[in-house]
Amino acid sequence: MKELFPPKQVMGFVLSLTLTVVALSVYFLNMSFAVGMTVLLVTAFVQAGLQLVVFMHAGESEDKAAIYTNVYYGLALALITVFGTLLAMVWDM
Amino acid sequence: MKIDNSLPLEYSTEENRLKVLGFWIFLGAEIMLFATLFATYFTLFDRTAGGPTGAEIFEITPVLIETILLLTSSFTIGLGIHAMRLGNKKAMLSFFAITLLLGAGFLGFEIFEFVTYVHEGAGLQTSAFTSILLTTLGTHGAHVTLGLFWGLFIILQVKKRGLTPETANKSFIFSLYWHFLDVVWIFIFSFIYLKGMM
Repeated sequence: MKELFPPKQVMGFVLSLTLTVVALSVYFLNMSFAVGMTVLLVTAFVQAGLQLVVFMHAGESEDKAAIYTNVYYGLALALITVFGTLLAMVWDM
Repeated sequence: MKIDNSLPLEYSTEENRLKVLGFWIFLGAEIMLFATLFATYFTLFDRTAGGPTGAEIFEITPVLIETILLLTSSFTIGLGIHAMRLGNKKAMLSFFAITLLLGAGFLGFEIFEFVTYVHEGAGLQTSAFTSILLTTLGTHGAHVTLGLFWGLFIILQVKKRGLTPETANKSFIFSLYWHFLDVVWIFIFSFIYLKGMM
């Protein structure tokens, strides 16, 4: 039974729940928008990275470099799309 | 049974290895799909046209339950893949079944939430805000729905054919899809719900 619960994944799960609790602090505690957004950005991206490395085994095959290049490329384009849109449409720059 | 961790079953042929890589490239396109939805959401979230705002309709309890269900399902499918690598078909199928039940629970709460929104006057056509909100949540929900059927067929096939390089490869790719949905939900949870209720 014990072999079915590898410590690495159990730790990953505990960490992901912890990150959720930390993210929840923006709801339950009174903080400024800037502080709240910083907390959310950090917890969300750490959480995503955790899923990628611990659960999705992104680095285990010989295609590791191609997989990470693809993920970083997708992530870069996602950030350019989101922040580009914010710059042009919301922040009026 | 001796496990060769350097070469799990799902990577045992070149074709299988390339299928895993190909699926990662598909996920790259999925990242972009959700990025455009988020970009549009951030542009439109304050254009409520006299309809309800996010702060008025979001409720922490169902959102938190959905988050915990999906996070746990991401953990259990990870355990399923681990069991598969140990060659333990029974444990693997149990973990996959638990994953799908958690996914169905998530979907149930999301449907309940959608019904509540519509009752509160936040339908798809109410405002730019409700349109993009329901489109973003709905696109994720549709992915989960697809995943439920996909996962069910994977379970049936592994039951019927056993763990072969082919079925192991399909199961592993399904697990990538499921973890990805969890990643997308984390961003919805943080930047739509928590940001909206802050």
